[in-house]
Amino acid sequence: MRRIRRLFHRSHTEKELDQELRFHLDRQITDYVAAGISPEEARRRAKLEFGGLERVKEEVRDTRWETRVEILLRDLRFGLRNLKKDRRFALVAIFALALGIGASTVVFSIFYNLFFNAFAAKDANRLVVPVIQNTENTGQLGSNLQPLTLHLADLDAIREQNRVFENIVGYLVEMVLAGDGSQMYQFSSTRVTSDAFDFYGVAPLLGRGIVTEDGQPGAPPVFVMSYKTWKGVFHEDPKILGKILTIDGEPRTLVGVMPQLFQAYGLQAQIWIPVTRTRDTPRADEESTAAVLARLKPGITLGTASADLDVIVKRLALLHPDDFPKHFTARVQSAADSLLGPQGGRTQFHSDMKHLLYDLLAAVAMLLLIACSNVGNLLLARATVREKEMAVRSALGATRGRLVRQLLAESSVLAMAACIVGCLFAWFGMKFVPAILPRTGDLYGGGRLGTESAFGLNPPVLFFALGLTLLTTLISGLAPAVRVARADLQPQLAGLGKGANGGFRHGKLRAALVIAEVALAIVLLIGTGLMMRSFFLLTRVDLGFNPKNVLFVVFAPHTRHDKTSVSPLQKFASPQGLALLRDVAERLKALPGVAHVSIENAMPGYSPSAGPKVTVPGAMHTEEAGIFACDENLVPTLELRMIRGRWLSEREVRTAQYVGVISQRLARDFFGETNPVGQQIQVKAFKGPSDATQDAEFQIVGVVQDVISAGPQHPTMPMIFLPYTVRGGFLFLLKTTVEPASLAHAVQEQVWAVDRNEIIALSSPLEDFLERFTYATPEFGLLIAAPLASISLLLVIVGVFSVMAYTVSLQTQEIGIRMALGAQRSSILQMILTKGARLLVAGILLGLFASYGLTRFLASQIWGVSATDSWTFTAVAVLVVAVGLGACLLPARRATRVDPLVALRYE
Amino acid sequence: MPESKQELLRGTLDMLILKVVALGPSHGYAIAQRLQQISKEFFQVHQGSLYPALHRLEDKAWLQAEWKESETGRQAKFYSLTRKGRKHMNAEVIHWERLSDAVALILRAEEES
Repeated sequence: MRRIRRLFHRSHTEKELDQELRFHLDRQITDYVAAGISPEEARRRAKLEFGGLERVKEEVRDTRWETRVEILLRDLRFGLRNLKKDRRFALVAIFALALGIGASTVVFSIFYNLFFNAFAAKDANRLVVPVIQNTENTGQLGSNLQPLTLHLADLDAIREQNRVFENIVGYLVEMVLAGDGSQMYQFSSTRVTSDAFDFYGVAPLLGRGIVTEDGQPGAPPVFVMSYKTWKGVFHEDPKILGKILTIDGEPRTLVGVMPQLFQAYGLQAQIWIPVTRTRDTPRADEESTAAVLARLKPGITLGTASADLDVIVKRLALLHPDDFPKHFTARVQSAADSLLGPQGGRTQFHSDMKHLLYDLLAAVAMLLLIACSNVGNLLLARATVREKEMAVRSALGATRGRLVRQLLAESSVLAMAACIVGCLFAWFGMKFVPAILPRTGDLYGGGRLGTESAFGLNPPVLFFALGLTLLTTLISGLAPAVRVARADLQPQLAGLGKGANGGFRHGKLRAALVIAEVALAIVLLIGTGLMMRSFFLLTRVDLGFNPKNVLFVVFAPHTRHDKTSVSPLQKFASPQGLALLRDVAERLKALPGVAHVSIENAMPGYSPSAGPKVTVPGAMHTEEAGIFACDENLVPTLELRMIRGRWLSEREVRTAQYVGVISQRLARDFFGETNPVGQQIQVKAFKGPSDATQDAEFQIVGVVQDVISAGPQHPTMPMIFLPYTVRGGFLFLLKTTVEPASLAHAVQEQVWAVDRNEIIALSSPLEDFLERFTYATPEFGLLIAAPLASISLLLVIVGVFSVMAYTVSLQTQEIGIRMALGAQRSSILQMILTKGARLLVAGILLGLFASYGLTRFLASQIWGVSATDSWTFTAVAVLVVAVGLGACLLPARRATRVDPLVALRYE
Repeated sequence: MPESKQELLRGTLDMLILKVVALGPSHGYAIAQRLQQISKEFFQVHQGSLYPALHRLEDKAWLQAEWKESETGRQAKFYSLTRKGRKHMNAEVIHWERLSDAVALILRAEEES
């Protein structure tokens, strides 16, 4: 505080110093006089001894802290003045740095919000998701990792037996019907153990969260609502607390609304309901199992926790062998990995968001380096021009440290301006981020990653931007500063300040910076090029069906109140169930905007993922085939393409005939070129709607073109299409003539018109799933990477241009002499272009070489192309040569217009 | 070489000043006088070094200053040792003693050989 006060009370400090020193002087004089020296002599001697009041003052001032601040401010002011003198340079440099800082800030904000802030939970870094890996079969898709789900009683067992978790909570996502007497709602609801809200540690927006007392049997039934539902369904009614809704037949009181940030326990949960149970509540075998979330005790590693968990879960598996695979290991995964990693959610189709984010961070770091070397280059060019100034200042007594500080002050002025502009860029850029962020989540939920409200220039992101500014100051100011510190400034004073050979060594340094810049840009461009090619290949994969204008409707597996333990499959295979399905189908078909309705059992594009073994009479082998149960309308609904024979007929479906259509791949595997139509195919251990499994024979009536079954990236499974009346199925596909999502509400009304107790778990356009599971993440990567690569190209243009322009201006004299001696314009042009081309080629070669080594880190982001795809490498190299030579052309043409007379007069 | 010598001297001066001020609050002139007396006129502390040193030590909060009436009745700036300064001084003294012991040892060893 004292120091800061002193900064603002300079005159007072000065006066005190003066008084202090004068006191000393006067005392000395007094002492001398007392010793018997004449007053004049005493004064003279004392002054002599003291050695100049002002000098001592100056030295005292130098020790002070505020002096250093003053020098810094003076340096900054001087830097600013210098930059003002050279506006064009300053604008280019600020623009380049601002692009770098802005882009980095945007990417960092994504990274930060998804990795550190996605959960908004307290101690989010210790949150873990227990997972279970089936070691029995390696899984066709290589993914057999599942989040661990447990009966609530077993959760208590883990809670008691573990030594690694601070706490572990459970939750069950389900669909519920709710009514308030006048209106009916369908909500995605999550039942949570009563400690789950305390565990998460996010304060409610209104009222309270769920508390432990709510979990006691006999406690008044309550529920808590999400912000989105409060806003979207209840129009932010401020007096909503206390509202009573009948949820799944039980009246419950609303006690709280959670903030927007809170997206726990079901990414799309609209309401949360406490589970009422005690330690002694017996295990309800028929009840569905709960997903779990745990927090590690401080200091416990993932490995330790995994080992502990594995022992406990294996013990549980001994008690309830039916609940677990025969061979498995249980472990914990960090919550961030679980959300962003390739195994995130419940499906294996999530792309690898985590590595994508790392790759993007690396890309943006390269971009920043390009910007820094660009600015460093500009500063170097200026420093060469200013060599004389530096020499003079050093001759006048400025130490090297002083000169270096001066240069760094200049680059920090640049960086600060760039930081402001960069934050502005980032602010604009971030507006687009929530819109392109990939959606994630499983079939029964899923929303955008992270929290939309969290994107912005929040303090951590701003700190990051400031940190970058500091870093760029150092990096870009470093090259010129080092040069000044090392240079022998003597010859500069001798008048050799400016000349063709003057900057030979720094000429090399500048060239090296340009080469590095080009090389980095090449790496970025190639990376982006590979992602782009991969994405285009991905979108061009033949799906085998047309997902456009198809609405996918799922009845909810009604688990909670059907305690009869009838599976939905069985339920809809009963005569009443079948009648209900047909009734609903008829009503849906009558809706305006619906062209075809098909009842089936799979999500086209992503299932079936496994199936029974099939074989044909006479064949020596069996093969796994996915079973697609459907009706006669699947072909027009999905626009499937028949290859041979015909599709299932309406009569065959209605009367549950054992007939089937096989996919092209299955036909080729078993029949080669011969016609399979009319042949029999045997399905081993066929499992119909009833529990008994037995081998079953089906007559093949047709062959259909392959339909992808594991997303466009993975090979298709051989498939067999059977009547749903034989196999069971309760999903609907609607081919619409209007935007499919717009029909969701009408579909629900039709279902409720048939049965008030049925739940639509999901009605989403089929294209949404393709988007969410397959295209969204690479598209997101591309949408971020492409601007980065473009910016890098732009910076390279600026960099090459400025260096060439500078070289030309240095060589004006030389060019003038050459022209005076009769050199042709074309040969001058060639000379300059050759110089530029040499830099470009060196950079490109280095860049290609680096890319060759680096692109394999992209392997998880690209599909269908090799990481060293020669087409991409060539295209990028050609692009950079073209753009780079273009950037050389302007300075080169200027060189050809040099007037020899003017050039020579330069001297 | 000159750089390191300066450093050494400066460190020594700081320690001596702290030591003098530790005897009781005093103003710059008194400190200069006492330094000269104690070191039996061996040290000629120049004002150009003394005052920057005093201000530096004040900046580091090893000394604190206060304007008080001096023995002649005039206002003077009195420096006194802070707790932090005392701690530093003690550490410095120990360090210095070790150093001079070591130097003495070396010198003696050279004489013997």
